[in-house]
Amino acid sequence: MKRGIFHFCAYVFAVLFLAFSVHAQDIPIGFFAPITGPAAADGASAKHAVELGLKEVNDAGGIKGRKVNLIIYDDRLNPQEAVAIANKLIEKDRVVGVVSGSYSGPTRVTAPIFQKAGIPMVAGYAVHPDVTWDPKEKKVNDFCFRNGFLGEIEGAAAAEFAVKNLKAKKISIISMDNDFGRAISAGFAERSEKLGASILTKQMYKFPGEKDFRPYLTRIKEGNPDLIFAAGYYNEAASIVRQAKELGITSQIMGEEGFDSPKFIEIAGPTAEGVIIATNLDRDDPRPLVQNFLRNYKKAYNEEADMVGASSYDAFMILVNAISKAGTDPKAIQKALLETKDYNGLTGKITRFVQGEVVKPVQIQVVKDGKFRRLGVVDNPEVITPPIK
Amino acid sequence: MLWQQLANGIAIGSVYALISLGLTMVYGILRILHVAHAGIYALGAYVGLFSFKLVGNFWISLMVGMAGAAIAGYLVERFLYTPLLHLPRIAPLIVSIGLFTALEEAFRIVAGPHTLTYNARIGLGDLSIGSFRLTETQILILFITIIILIFLWAFLTKTRTGLAMRACAQDPETTSSFGVNVSAIIAINFIIGSAMAGAAGVLIGVYDNQVWPTMGSIPAYKALAIVVLGGLGNIPGTVLASIVVGLAETFFIGVLAIPFPRDAVAFVAMILVLMFKPYGLLGKA
Repeated sequence: MKRGIFHFCAYVFAVLFLAFSVHAQDIPIGFFAPITGPAAADGASAKHAVELGLKEVNDAGGIKGRKVNLIIYDDRLNPQEAVAIANKLIEKDRVVGVVSGSYSGPTRVTAPIFQKAGIPMVAGYAVHPDVTWDPKEKKVNDFCFRNGFLGEIEGAAAAEFAVKNLKAKKISIISMDNDFGRAISAGFAERSEKLGASILTKQMYKFPGEKDFRPYLTRIKEGNPDLIFAAGYYNEAASIVRQAKELGITSQIMGEEGFDSPKFIEIAGPTAEGVIIATNLDRDDPRPLVQNFLRNYKKAYNEEADMVGASSYDAFMILVNAISKAGTDPKAIQKALLETKDYNGLTGKITRFVQGEVVKPVQIQVVKDGKFRRLGVVDNPEVITPPIK
Repeated sequence: MLWQQLANGIAIGSVYALISLGLTMVYGILRILHVAHAGIYALGAYVGLFSFKLVGNFWISLMVGMAGAAIAGYLVERFLYTPLLHLPRIAPLIVSIGLFTALEEAFRIVAGPHTLTYNARIGLGDLSIGSFRLTETQILILFITIIILIFLWAFLTKTRTGLAMRACAQDPETTSSFGVNVSAIIAINFIIGSAMAGAAGVLIGVYDNQVWPTMGSIPAYKALAIVVLGGLGNIPGTVLASIVVGLAETFFIGVLAIPFPRDAVAFVAMILVLMFKPYGLLGKA
């Protein structure tokens, strides 16, 4: 019996010690990304960029003298895995906030879990509406925030530029068949038709898996559109651009943030020249924040930073910024996030969050001499303000 | 436009043929569903790509890719399948699936998760007549597929080894009683089938300018459907089925414009054939 009490006390002390040591020293922030599996390249970008941000924060003395402890999980782009990770982050790691460096699939399933636990989550670049919105309860997930654009908004901004600036009248759309492709092409189609352009063809391709776009493009070629809007990720985008050129298509090709990777330019090669994208990173932004990030990233990982990395970095820094204002109580962090105003982010100045959705200009970039360069900015409030639910 | 789609369909169908032939040959002789064959296909692409980066010559990289795949196919046969032949066929199937997954992860660990580019230019140039274009890589695919098919046909019908291989596929025990070294024949079968898959990997790498760790995952099941469609173990049937599937996919997407998932075409065709011609397009009862 005595021994039992001794064990019990030792156990209690151990738990207290652990709890004390973690809470007194480091601020635990959770992070998940598809580090292995089909999206491993994006997972690596997100992880690298956030680790760069972590190093910056901790090298500068942490948040009010306390270091940030980043707890990293690999969701393998698998929603089931992401659910387990969310529960682990809340119950075992006792994080004060979470950064999603993952796609919509894993991010949206974790949103209601963090919402219920009252732990704020900032998503880097997931585009699905259900990250900030609970479709079952029909209410806003007010603990969830998004640094990237809603798919519809980015699509609409691309259409704004295509019709108003590029004067496209006849447009063909080819998009991948997932949440991202559907949302972004729906936003594009709606806005471009509203502005008076006509959509000649709308085609969907399977993702992941499709590599041979010649059948789709041959059909597009017949209509001879002014512009082809392609919604997809960079591997497929590069194939589309390349194969379009091979088939002798001369229409302007426009894409979105899924194209925004040095890999796109590498795979598409010279055929990438002149391709225009709507995205969430302006590489010609003169602010030191942007130029330092691009330089430090290149120095640390020996490759060019991309939209996924920049957006994940921003998501992490937005959370860190809120913690430095409000302390480590999740409820207070959420309040600080809700009150975000004119935040100077890497991917643009964030005016505010509307029901968790970011309000900031959409960047238009063009490939020139093998690099993404600034071509324009879409800041029409009619386009970039998220709809209130 | 119709001609263009025809060219698109035959080109992709040719690659399907190169992948599926090895699978049907392995099934024909060992009655094993060789799922890891798609891993060998991806391996061929990686080996070809690395040799291309070293020497910069497409033709050498094609040969090296085929050789790498052939060696890998031989090793799989010798050290994984042959020791399991006394067990029910489910055992090698499980091993095959496991090996396939392991190969995909191995590619990711060794070559990284990113897609690599296979930017080989042969210098043939495109063939264009009006708005119709046969691109350089399409010409290359057709050319190489035809050459390989002629070689395969000549080997199977004109040589004693080829004759022995066909005999083995029908009845290995009787064949061995005629003094044929069945184990050597099986090895040759794997080597040829894997070399063709390696060629397919290299060709797809160049056609799409992409080589990536999971490039085998769709061929892994599509080739199975094609092989069943052509009649399990039937070589001319497999070639025919591959071209049919390539053309059907292309026309569903590009001409009929039916929003129908591309990779389902092979399976729908397979189901239809099994309903009306259960031994495949060219199979006999």
